Amino acid sequence: MFTYILNRLGMMLVTLWAIVTLTFFLMHAVPGGPFVSERMLAPEIAAALNAKYGLDQPIWQQYLNYLGRILTFDLGPSFKYPGVSINSMIAAGLPVTLRTGLLAVICVVALGVPLGVIAALNRNRWPDTTVMFIATLGVAIPSYVIATVSIYFFALRLGWVPTFGLDDWRGYFLPVFALSGFWISFVSRLTRSSLLETLDQDYMVTARAKGLRKGQILFKHGLRNSLLPVVTVLGPVVANLITGSFVIEQIFALPGIGRQFVLSITNRDYTAIMGITIFYAAILMVMILIVDLLYVWLDPRIKLTKAAA
Amino acid sequence: MTDISPEMWANVPAGEKVAPIAPPAPTYGQEVRRRLWANKPAVVSIVFIIALVIAAFFGPYFSPHTYFKQDLKLANIPPFFETYAVTDGAGEVTRFFLNASNFNLYEVDADGNMLGLLRGGRKDMIKKSQPYEFGDQTLMLDYSKLPVRLLLEDGSEVRPSGWSWNKTYLFGTDQLGRDILVRQLYGAQISLTVAFVATLVNFFIGVFYGGVAGYMGGKVDAVMMRFVEIISTIPLTLYVVLLMVVFDSGLLSIIVAIGSVFWVDMARIVRGQILSLKSQDYVAAARTMGASPARILTRHLLPNSIGPIIVTLTMLIPSAIFIESFMSFIGLGVTPPLASWGSLTSEAVETLRAYPHQLFFPAAAISLTMFAFNFLGDGLRDALDPRAGR
Repeated sequence: MFTYILNRLGMMLVTLWAIVTLTFFLMHAVPGGPFVSERMLAPEIAAALNAKYGLDQPIWQQYLNYLGRILTFDLGPSFKYPGVSINSMIAAGLPVTLRTGLLAVICVVALGVPLGVIAALNRNRWPDTTVMFIATLGVAIPSYVIATVSIYFFALRLGWVPTFGLDDWRGYFLPVFALSGFWISFVSRLTRSSLLETLDQDYMVTARAKGLRKGQILFKHGLRNSLLPVVTVLGPVVANLITGSFVIEQIFALPGIGRQFVLSITNRDYTAIMGITIFYAAILMVMILIVDLLYVWLDPRIKLTKAAA
Repeated sequence: MTDISPEMWANVPAGEKVAPIAPPAPTYGQEVRRRLWANKPAVVSIVFIIALVIAAFFGPYFSPHTYFKQDLKLANIPPFFETYAVTDGAGEVTRFFLNASNFNLYEVDADGNMLGLLRGGRKDMIKKSQPYEFGDQTLMLDYSKLPVRLLLEDGSEVRPSGWSWNKTYLFGTDQLGRDILVRQLYGAQISLTVAFVATLVNFFIGVFYGGVAGYMGGKVDAVMMRFVEIISTIPLTLYVVLLMVVFDSGLLSIIVAIGSVFWVDMARIVRGQILSLKSQDYVAAARTMGASPARILTRHLLPNSIGPIIVTLTMLIPSAIFIESFMSFIGLGVTPPLASWGSLTSEAVETLRAYPHQLFFPAAAISLTMFAFNFLGDGLRDALDPRAGR
């Protein structure tokens, strides 16, 4: 177990290094420097700016400097907002993004799994067709369409929730709904097909033949075995929630990291783009590691050493 | 039994073949086609996609409008409206409708064709009203309280005469007075172009990469798959965002950006297929007969994994459409005045409160298209899987 985690951490560092390198050289491949704007800078000022941010050094030196700073968890200063560091940008946005993201994950698990179970237990009857119809809708409609249409109906027409912001607890409803919509549908479809497969297994017949109670059969024998694929997609869920938050935070004007990222893109704030990307990558890798460990814990048949190979 | 002639009862001479009484066994292709045609949602999706392609690429030629021509006088026109009719002293009828969100009156004819913006008199800023003259008749547009009312000189309210469709701008116009229908069709053209070209790029890179990794195996495979693993650690959308920051925004950039990372899924699936197929006897036979690796790969292994490849391909198309619209939505996609479903949606969000119809069309278009491709993908997966549908 310990060597496995160590192995994975080593691999994560290599991946992170690759992503840092990739983003660094991508951002330096952008034509024009970070201070090219509609206002022409005097050459002295431009030179002073370049010297301040170390941009006058050769690129490999800049790269090494950047790597060195990353090692001390310093993502550097923003080029667009003087005196603002990327670390403080992330720190300001993280609580908002975490709260909405966590609520969305809870919604995905708490709604997606039960809906899938209901559909599977009522196979080809009306609850099944209803759930599957809604799930098909949810998988096909892009999140930003869900967001904008739900703003129109629930915020503008019905006035139940505010159109933007999180000043009010009701403000969480629409962003969380739009963020998790796709994954609720996805998870309920997955749970349904996985549970249906499990229900056909011989051990389920055995459990019934032994005269176990219905709840025990369903929860202990059926659900526990059919939830494994659901756990597998939880990693991608986190990834998707992160990219989904770009648009959702933009639409609902939530001051989270996703909005900060989109803002940095429109501002062409290259250090911010780099820093947030690296931050995302790190978070994601930790999440995927956690999901993998969870998986092993849930399914004793999986051997860690084998998974590491 | 009497009508069977005696020679029918004679023995068949030894060595003569007897025709088996069975229909010819359907080929794999026929089976697939039969299963696909039996799947109603998939068939409807195919029809929808074909119609969409035709509309997107030929539709704009049949429209008198262009996607870039602005007419600020006719901005934010709805696709349908309530018409009013006013008859003046000379018996001349003027038909018009009231745009309740910008307090303008637009003249229309009896069929619903737009004739233009009606010019009113001076606005009375204090009473919040504006007079409109029709011959000897004067109407007061009263916007002191909402909803806006049209009053005759004696103070009685004018009632609309009925609903009418906008014949000039079938889907209405946007905030710059551009025809939404044509922009919509151009958006479809862009989305479909991006989807098909990017998917094709992904297809070639992914099949090649996965094929080589799977066939070579060993160290080559390990290194190549490590690389894929590193790429797919962070969401592919993030790479597309980064690449779009580097490139100038535009159609070609989106295609390159999507094409350069989305092949990893395809590579994984092809590799898995090749790995399981390459230990088959026919591959060993081909190798014994001296076939080159390239020939074994292209003639034996890839054709046998065509099913999963096609399914992955149809699943890539909606995700490419989604990524493109997503990029355009956050402002990294096509450059204005070109339209894409994503940029149309984000433009519509700005005017959501007053003109929700502008949101409806792009939102419906992209949702329906995603539906169609999803259903088609599901249908193809069921049809191509020999174990399914029994």
